[in-house]
Amino acid sequence: MLDKEKLKDILENLRLFFGAATDFNRKSRSMLFKEAHNEMDEFILLCFGDILGIPIPTTYYSLELLPLIADDLEGWQQRMINRLYVWEEKWSDYGFDA
Amino acid sequence: MNKIIFFGGKGGVGKTTCSASYAVYSADMGLKTLLVSTDPAHSTSDIFEKNITDTITNIMPNLDAIEISGEKESKLYMDSVRKSLKNVVSPVIVKEINKQIDAASVSPGTEEAALFDKMIDIITEKVKDYDRIIFDTAPTGHTVRLLTLPELLGGWLETLISKRQKSVSLMSMANHNGYADKSEAEKDEVIKILKRRLDKINLAKKIMMDEKLLSFIFVINAEKLPIDETVKAINILEKYNISVDGIIVNKILPDNMQDDFWKSKKEQELKYLEIIREKFKEKKIFKLPMLDEDMKSDNIGEIAAKFKDFK
Repeated sequence: MLDKEKLKDILENLRLFFGAATDFNRKSRSMLFKEAHNEMDEFILLCFGDILGIPIPTTYYSLELLPLIADDLEGWQQRMINRLYVWEEKWSDYGFDA
Repeated sequence: MNKIIFFGGKGGVGKTTCSASYAVYSADMGLKTLLVSTDPAHSTSDIFEKNITDTITNIMPNLDAIEISGEKESKLYMDSVRKSLKNVVSPVIVKEINKQIDAASVSPGTEEAALFDKMIDIITEKVKDYDRIIFDTAPTGHTVRLLTLPELLGGWLETLISKRQKSVSLMSMANHNGYADKSEAEKDEVIKILKRRLDKINLAKKIMMDEKLLSFIFVINAEKLPIDETVKAINILEKYNISVDGIIVNKILPDNMQDDFWKSKKEQELKYLEIIREKFKEKKIFKLPMLDEDMKSDNIGEIAAKFKDFK
């Protein structure tokens, strides 16, 4: 026979389980973050593609953005160079990790 | 003549001589004139025998002059970027960025872009203070590229702004349970900088395409290469809606030539003058004689006076 405390525990766990499994908010938030980061990566590519060896005729004008973007630059460069990581990230778009 | 005049042409045809004497002519007519030299050779100082710097210097009544250089302007810009880097904490990133700035400072478009920026600044800031602004430009190819820059840049800036706006608003949605806070895109420093650039470029485009405000004068000699090059340059400029007003044929030989060499030279010149009349028939054509001595500060007034027939 289950006592009251145990039943409460089980119910609480069930609640947490279904709560998390049906939390679309959390998932959509992570998708939005990911999408925002993708856009940001493309933005940096358009500004500083020449770091990767892609000639950008307007580099002169993007230079003044450098101080604002500097902190993202290192991670961006690694993501762009390490394609495996890009694949990993794209793979997760299909929700297998959720 | 328009308020803003660009003198262009192949190297060595006499752009600086023509623009300087035309500036003196404008000043003598009572127009408050600014002569801007953008040619890296900077011969304007030599003609007026005065030290003209990158700040506006008075030459004679009604005439001021300034010499600007892409090299110097780009250095100023790079230094300002370097200075604003002090907010970045990581020394690794600062090192990386300094590398990036060094690479940009030697890349081909940089000085051009810096020069263009400065020219736009001069036009927008000084257009109210002067009746006429005359630009002595660098040789043709350079100048044509310079003036077509806004078209290229405008499109690129618009793409960048919309990308950045999208990214900022997605980020804002993620942070506010799916609702984007519009003011975040307006507050974004990157977007502010890009928009400022775009406004400037659009203003430049507006000025350059205003055929009542800005016009181009090409200086040529009665020879094959300058003619051919100018035909090409005019085609490109008109494609970008920049109006070309007139052609100055410089270094015309005197009529009564004595020995055979000069006689045949003169004959050839007449042939080319015919071609010039044919090729530039919708433009004002003005002929300037070859001088028997170098133009200097003491005889520039005489040459300037000849321009009274150039309308």
